[in-house]
Amino acid sequence: MSTPLLVSQNLTMRFGGLTALDALDLTVYEGEVLGLLGPNGSGKTTFFNVVTSLYTASSGQIMLAGQDISHKSPQEVYFQGVTRTFQRSRLSLPLTVFDNMVIGNYQHLNLGLGFNLFQRKRLRQQYDEMVDKAHTLLQTFNPGLPQKLFQPTATLTMIDRRRVEICRALLSSPRLLLLDEPSAGMTHDETNELMDDIMQVRGLLKPFTIVIIEHEMNVIQRITERCIVLNFGQKIAEGSYEEIVADPQVQIAYLGQEQE
Amino acid sequence: MSMEVFSQYLVNGLMLGMIYAMVAVGFTLFFGVMDVIQFAHGDVLMLGAFTALVTFLGLDAIGITNPWLQILIMLVVSMLLIAVVGALVAKYLILPLKDAPPLNTLLLTLMLGLVLRELVRLFYPDGSNSKPFPRLLPDHELHLGAFSIRADSAILLVAGLVTIVALHYVITRTKLGLAIRAVAQDGETARVMGINFHWIVLLTFGLGSAMAAIGGIMNGLYYSEINFGVGLLLGIIGFSAAILGGLTNVYGAILGGFLFAALQTVGSVMLPLIGSGVPSSYKDVFAFAVVIMLLAWKPSGLIAERSSERV
Amino acid sequence: MLHTLKPSRSLLWAAMVVAFAIAWGVLHAESEFEVGITLVAIVVVVLAARWLRVAPAVGASMNDHPRSLGWACILGVLLLTAAFYDDHFALLLLCTVLLYSVAGFGLNIQFGYCGILNFAGAAFFGIGSYTAAVLTTHTGTPHLLVLVVGGLVSALLGSMLILPVLRTRGHYAALVTIAFGILFKTFLEVNDTLGGPQGMRIPNMNILGWQLNEDIVIGDLDISFYANYAVLSLVLCVIAFILVRRLERSWIGVSMDMVRTDEIAASVFGVPIARMKIIAFTAGNFLVGVAGAVYGLLTSYVAPNNFTFSDSLILVSMVILGGIGNPWGILPAAAIILILPEKLQFIQEYRFLLYGILIIAILLFRPDGLLPRSIRNFFPGQSRT
Repeated sequence: MSTPLLVSQNLTMRFGGLTALDALDLTVYEGEVLGLLGPNGSGKTTFFNVVTSLYTASSGQIMLAGQDISHKSPQEVYFQGVTRTFQRSRLSLPLTVFDNMVIGNYQHLNLGLGFNLFQRKRLRQQYDEMVDKAHTLLQTFNPGLPQKLFQPTATLTMIDRRRVEICRALLSSPRLLLLDEPSAGMTHDETNELMDDIMQVRGLLKPFTIVIIEHEMNVIQRITERCIVLNFGQKIAEGSYEEIVADPQVQIAYLGQEQE
Repeated sequence: MSMEVFSQYLVNGLMLGMIYAMVAVGFTLFFGVMDVIQFAHGDVLMLGAFTALVTFLGLDAIGITNPWLQILIMLVVSMLLIAVVGALVAKYLILPLKDAPPLNTLLLTLMLGLVLRELVRLFYPDGSNSKPFPRLLPDHELHLGAFSIRADSAILLVAGLVTIVALHYVITRTKLGLAIRAVAQDGETARVMGINFHWIVLLTFGLGSAMAAIGGIMNGLYYSEINFGVGLLLGIIGFSAAILGGLTNVYGAILGGFLFAALQTVGSVMLPLIGSGVPSSYKDVFAFAVVIMLLAWKPSGLIAERSSERV
Repeated sequence: MLHTLKPSRSLLWAAMVVAFAIAWGVLHAESEFEVGITLVAIVVVVLAARWLRVAPAVGASMNDHPRSLGWACILGVLLLTAAFYDDHFALLLLCTVLLYSVAGFGLNIQFGYCGILNFAGAAFFGIGSYTAAVLTTHTGTPHLLVLVVGGLVSALLGSMLILPVLRTRGHYAALVTIAFGILFKTFLEVNDTLGGPQGMRIPNMNILGWQLNEDIVIGDLDISFYANYAVLSLVLCVIAFILVRRLERSWIGVSMDMVRTDEIAASVFGVPIARMKIIAFTAGNFLVGVAGAVYGLLTSYVAPNNFTFSDSLILVSMVILGGIGNPWGILPAAAIILILPEKLQFIQEYRFLLYGILIIAILLFRPDGLLPRSIRNFFPGQSRT
């Protein structure tokens, strides 16, 4: 049995009168690809935001590899090997693709003032390393991308921007990757290609854990091993894709109460 | 301290608080609907005062001498003109920069304030010097027991109170107020609900600027003079007061205004007591230092500022 | 033929010669007629450049050969200093432009890279000047060290404001720095120990025996003492420029840009937001303070009247006019803002009004400024292996 990597215990998130997460108990196992499903507003993105410490939970705990990360800063969570993408693409458009991507590998950058201002040769070495890594990664997703490495991100198509965002999350070889609706705005074919590329990268490294929020059931069926369905901030179903699709609770949550 | 001196400080503090509150409310309204800091707001107040002065000179010239009539006409003319100015600023300077980084709008309004100050200084006859403002209110003393207050101060305080209550009424009881609150809460949704975002923004800026005009006239009547530079300090103080009050809460802004006035009054009373060499002009230093410290301690104001960022 | 103009070093030098001629003309012009002619010449050059479409090629030449561009600028300033060797006023203007540019570089780190608004630029400049005044009058500190201490005191006093400045919303930094600026000026005016409203005199500057406040006499030539300061300011400007450039073209620069454009994404990828802002704010104030210290020694005098809120707004205007985030733009912007009112006396009175309108127009129609910031090129001119 694989070990739990991310565990939420009794996790509650309240915004004023709105309860987004309601005593959520959820476990993500090391190495798995987990689908996080549920209708809009069920708390999926909120869960990601709490895990990455953009929100502090109202009560309950989040544990990563046995360590309590409920009160850590977003930076500390990142250094524990957690990266993510955002529902609405968060890239800095005036900056180059490289600038945006290299932030993803922050833990391997030397940030000392002395290093950056006065040890330019060594900075050059680190720079070359980063450029190579970015190159290789982008190549997997779109062979045309690496040549745009030093162009402003604003010149890229929406799809390419999504790819860059995913590459940014992959650059540091994370332990846990949180994908928030990565296929939004893409066609079926583009989505399939994207998922294949992500899996390809995952195959080259030690297979890291992925939690993916998606509405495209096709994707969920293809790449996930297990799914968890949320509704109103609570877990209502858990199991393989086939199992949860057949679950009457899930059907009601998505489609509404059946008329008697 | 004698009752007389105390009442003087009290009245002065209340007056200042009233004027600061007028400016602070404007900041809060503008920030609410457009997420912008209108740094020229204090200078709009100054413009209101000068407009009233010019109106007075005009009235005097054509022979209208009844002070109450004068005040009424000055109020109406100034409020209308300044409301239009506010709406024009919104239409041509603020709305076009809606999608630009918010710092750009802040910078622009700062420059606007500079432009307004310079326009008055350069183009009003002898603009660099203070101009006398007419004494239109009765200035005899009223006695309430041991407490004494001048009639004009009393009238101004009441007028300020009436303005604030009227604003409260508009915001909470009228359709306009409802629309303003809707837009302040969530502009996108308000638009979807059928509220004309553009017009509400213009009306809000007009309303806030009209209040500034009232504040400017009050300022002029109280000090019996106005100066082109009065807007800068008032603007900064009003902004500080609005931040103290949380920037999204109109009542917080009013509270902040009175709080700042209290700080200044306390400062001017206490500082000469500390050392004979400490002049009371330090009161501004004192008040600002306290504001900086308050902001450092509780950066979102004493009443929390609502964050509008969605992740 | 001109349509196929290729970017090259020679094109760069040609452009720099034209720039030098303009600069010389502007500094030299005295009567209104001469000033008028110079302005017309500038307009003609700009229009010709646009009509002949040489601008992109020139721009590319500058981008490709930054080293040559740098040397050309240094040479240009030295030649200007030599050309005006006995003209006190022209040299004073040159020094002022260079020193205000250094202050502008400091503000550029804060605002252009990290997004922190600082409306107390003049106050930090003044802190540098006052520190120089106090140290040179009352202590025997070597004057070069005085410059450094001026910067350090500025940075230190600036750190008092750091907590509100760290807040996400920019208006906190704006308010706090404006309040600080007013506080600073009021404090100085009311306080007689630092000279009160009259200010303080500053002794002459002396670096290892080099007396900067004395004219240099070589044979028949009587070189204005301002030439000393011009060289010193130039050295300071070059050092500051190089440091700012390197800061931008480093991991710190990328981090600061990320902090400015998207704090949330930055924090989720490990960027230490507070630390970046502290570095930007402190380093920026340090540069402003050093510039202020030199300026005080240059003018031998410091008074609170020179460091008002409007002066801080002028510094901010310089950074915006030049092009937010682009240190190259600050030099011409400083030249325009500082020299033009001196030469066109009739606009002296109106200069604040005109600056205000100019900046409003820029923010509305060309927010990128004169020289928009180009994309980050970490190691320009060095091809990848």
